[in-house]
Amino acid sequence: MATTTATITLASSDIADNALSISNTMTMTTAGTTTGITETTGLARKKVASASLADLITVANTDVTAASSAKVYIKNTSTSTDKYGLIGIGDSSGTPIYLGRLYGGDWMLFPWDANSGEDITLTMSDTTETVIEYMVFFE
Amino acid sequence: MATTTATLTLSSSDLLSNALSLSATQTLYKAGTTTGLDQIQYERLEVPTGDVYDLVDATALGANKANKVYIANKHTDATKYVDIYIKTLNIGRLYAGDWMFVPLEAAPAGTSPETYLQDVGIEAVSAAQVVEFALIHEGKTQTAS
Repeated sequence: MATTTATITLASSDIADNALSISNTMTMTTAGTTTGITETTGLARKKVASASLADLITVANTDVTAASSAKVYIKNTSTSTDKYGLIGIGDSSGTPIYLGRLYGGDWMLFPWDANSGEDITLTMSDTTETVIEYMVFFE
Repeated sequence: MATTTATLTLSSSDLLSNALSLSATQTLYKAGTTTGLDQIQYERLEVPTGDVYDLVDATALGANKANKVYIANKHTDATKYVDIYIKTLNIGRLYAGDWMFVPLEAAPAGTSPETYLQDVGIEAVSAAQVVEFALIHEGKTQTAS
């Protein structure tokens, strides 16, 4: 078994009267156990130069076990803070549910149920070529 | 304006043949700007079993912005988890000790937010579980008392 950790630190000295300092580390385990996740897509980089809705990660192209403990990391590597990639979950030929916008430099990490048809979609705000990085941890 | 940063460190010495060491830091800005997000809601609560409950109420004023949501399952029994929903879609499970950090669209762009608001829901499975969440945002519609 492998040991993979993800640590988040949220910090601000001025969003409130008192400093904000949230730090949390999770160890990625298989569903319902303390056994470490042993599979990953590895870190992928994708150039996107289209503003059309498309799949970023397709369930059928991965070996992710649905309804377990998969985690997805996505980052918009652009430095443009006025352009974004809109991340959704669903079928790119239909109407996905939109999670939110990754502006240049933004990242996200979330659990992925990965049932059939629950692909991860991407819609860029314009056609400027942008590199999106992503990585899936799964069992 | 406030300056708030979110830093991620992903690491493993044995998931791959070579060590994994990834770090990413973002400053939390308002949509399309370099002005920092300056409003926050930060809570800790016990989620009962039996239904999907709203954790974050999406509002029209918060739709299609750069709001961020952090959720952590503070339970300690590794067999227990909460399901996280966006609107009616179960996006995934947070097992005990897991956390997530995502932007929140709150409603599809081009729609009437009042009609299509996408709350963040949570369902505790098989046991009540304590979660912490933070919504760092640039405004939300207030409800008159």
